[in-house]
Amino acid sequence: MPVFSIKIRRPLTGLPGRHNKLDLIMNHKIGRFSRRNSAPSTGLFLWALALMFLLAALSLLPHVLLGQGLDPAALLKPATNTWPTYNGDYSGRRFSTLNQITASNVNELTLDWVLETRSQSIKSTPLEVNGILYFTAPDNVWAADARTGRVIWHYERTSVGDHIGHRGVGMYGDWLYFTTSDAQLVCLNAKDGSVRWITQLADPKLGYFSTMAPLVVRDHVIAGVSGDVTDIPGYLESLDPATGKLQWRWYTEPKPGEPGSNTWPQTSDAIRHGGGMTWMTGTYDPELNLLYWGIGNPNPVLAGAPRPGDNLFTCSIVALNPDTGKLVWYFQPSPHDVHDWDAVETPVLFNATFDGKPRKLLAQASRNGYFFVLDRTNGEHLVTAPFIQTTWASGIDSRGRPVAKPQDAPRPDGALVAPASDGATNWMAPSFDPQTGLFYVSARRTFSVFFLTAAGKAEGWAGTDRGLWADSAIRAIDYKTGKIVWDHELGNGEDGAGILTTAGGVLFTADNSGNMLALDPATGKTLWHVNLGGRMASSPETFEIDGRQVLLVSARNLVFAFSLPHKLTQSK
Amino acid sequence: MSQMNSCKVKTSKQWIMGIMGAGICIFVSALAGMTLTGYTGRAQANQPAGNSAAVERGGQQFASSCGFCHGADATGGRGPDLVRSKLVADDVGGNLIGSVIRNGRPAKGMPAFTMSAQQISDIAAFLHARFRAERSSRTMGGGDYPLSKLLTGNAAEGKAFFDKAGCAGCHSVTGDLAHVAKKYEPVVLEMRMLYPRGAETPTVTVTLPSGEQVKGELEHLDEFSVALRDSAGWYRSFPRSEVKVEVHDPLAAHQALLSKLTQDDVHNLFAYLETLQ
Repeated sequence: MPVFSIKIRRPLTGLPGRHNKLDLIMNHKIGRFSRRNSAPSTGLFLWALALMFLLAALSLLPHVLLGQGLDPAALLKPATNTWPTYNGDYSGRRFSTLNQITASNVNELTLDWVLETRSQSIKSTPLEVNGILYFTAPDNVWAADARTGRVIWHYERTSVGDHIGHRGVGMYGDWLYFTTSDAQLVCLNAKDGSVRWITQLADPKLGYFSTMAPLVVRDHVIAGVSGDVTDIPGYLESLDPATGKLQWRWYTEPKPGEPGSNTWPQTSDAIRHGGGMTWMTGTYDPELNLLYWGIGNPNPVLAGAPRPGDNLFTCSIVALNPDTGKLVWYFQPSPHDVHDWDAVETPVLFNATFDGKPRKLLAQASRNGYFFVLDRTNGEHLVTAPFIQTTWASGIDSRGRPVAKPQDAPRPDGALVAPASDGATNWMAPSFDPQTGLFYVSARRTFSVFFLTAAGKAEGWAGTDRGLWADSAIRAIDYKTGKIVWDHELGNGEDGAGILTTAGGVLFTADNSGNMLALDPATGKTLWHVNLGGRMASSPETFEIDGRQVLLVSARNLVFAFSLPHKLTQSK
Repeated sequence: MSQMNSCKVKTSKQWIMGIMGAGICIFVSALAGMTLTGYTGRAQANQPAGNSAAVERGGQQFASSCGFCHGADATGGRGPDLVRSKLVADDVGGNLIGSVIRNGRPAKGMPAFTMSAQQISDIAAFLHARFRAERSSRTMGGGDYPLSKLLTGNAAEGKAFFDKAGCAGCHSVTGDLAHVAKKYEPVVLEMRMLYPRGAETPTVTVTLPSGEQVKGELEHLDEFSVALRDSAGWYRSFPRSEVKVEVHDPLAAHQALLSKLTQDDVHNLFAYLETLQ
């Protein structure tokens, strides 16, 4: 493919959503038409005819007639030139097929615009739908023109609760879904940011809040909850996109007597206070109709004594049916965690060969420092390998789970452990590049001393850890073996930037000194960099507008759009 | 709002007094507001911080009246854990807790208690304080963390480790480490023993293409640039593509040791350092 050619992808089309305007109009007309014809058979025939006409018409309709919203059916096909959901598409691989920006021209990227918000650091991944960006910080949602960076509207709602960060919104039709620090779900009109409804996800008085970007799967808005300073149960909810009505709620701890409940003490109420928050956005396989979600750490956080057992389904990767919320399979990266190493990092989905056979795979670089590969059809474990040097595990058991050393559990006199509670990685988005076959993770080497401080019954955190030393690197992992193929140092301290890979053969991320980096995904060598004047605490993304591939990044409260000069994008 | 209304200036003659009064009134209101929303924990709370005397009285009242079933610290026993109770979280100043105390929960075996409004509000203050303690349990204090909790190692073995591991290459128990246990609070000493962050600044030698060497304290290092403060006190930076960089980190030995230490090594070494009074 010529270096400067671009492929104009087919815009988002597909079957109309339930609330698509045209759909409603057509149905209305059909309804009137059929009422005039009383004969049932004729009516039926005309219904079928009209339906055929409707389907045919819709398949031919240019995108613009469907309005500026987001048809949920479009999410079922991998996005190529837009970024309509938190991870860009359902797979969570954050690989873009756009290839206008390449290894050989990335050093010609120029700044299109900068947008400054009056807010705390931007940790969200903006959605890009029909030329409009939607992004967040705690209490704030913005819509901005992707061409110019001009803010179209700004929604602000102050709230109590934890303002640790915010990951972004989900979109369905003309509507956006925004989670809040006081654990509400706000439905906004994407046109003007007006509130359609607000519904409570969880009771903030008990210590719940929410930071995640909801995932829209057909007629489900999937939203999770956060909060581990108190001993509250975690869950994942599916809500009706139109009304916010609860469709299902799946608790991350089973009810007493249910499968998995035997991994909790039987003589206390620990299972009802076991934590397991759903901090981050999961992934989805439309073919298998399975939702994959990473589950948070158990509570009390650092005290294991009140909860002997594996504590399912905390620190697990679970596969759920999105229509029923029923558990299909699970895998637990950190049984009986006592270090705050949740397993909420993106479960990345890709199809690739494993042992010579094509497999539907799921990979996670988990906060505990281990990389896992599973068969996502059934949860079969395939690979476990450390991606940083850890000190806490004595080996890997027959089910592929690291085995914790008892002496590395938090203790009153302090336990020296790597990694720290912040983990070997965290919210920073990983990426899988099908062109290199490598999985990329923002990795940290950290050492910390874990103190169990609770006097009496351990509740809440029941202790703390104090960090000693940290440095960070981007690591490329061979998914077949878990071996590190290359390592790109990012400097001292803990990194906060996620990763984007692209078909143009460029990996984008940032170091700990405010430099955005363009790396060769095959070797980790630096192709280009620019200092953004602050640390990136979000993940880069890319989309196409006016025939130009745009690279969108943020640092602190600044959003930057880069693209190639016109002379390069117009030479087709 | 009633406070504000009562402070409204009614007559123009009293305008000076009025403004002063309004100012005081706003100040008082602000104070009241601060008390009402005084707790700003990581998670939301709708409870006033409460005064410590009420919490203390409530704790004693709770231990004698309720502790038998709910535990003296309210974390449960025969009766439920009230620290994690939704009713306690929803309660404001005893409005929900009070009716449970007065009416009991006969179906669940809890008898009714006769208590004064003061006693109930004290118990409520105590339970809310317990809830706040749970929320803020990710702390350990500093100086007040007891040495006895940390002092689990064997000082003689710690000394043996000190001698064997090469600590004496940089340190001396009669020099820089003399009286080190008096210098630092126990937790701080344990942390600094492992990695004394910031205790020493790395130095760097930058070799220019000409062969000239510039030395100084390292100010910044990333993939693209190196910056130092030279002996004259000037900040200087160089592109890494043009120069050779050699960093000397005095703490490198500490960092290297972190992945080699066992928990016993840590606590033995700490016990040894604690002998250096």
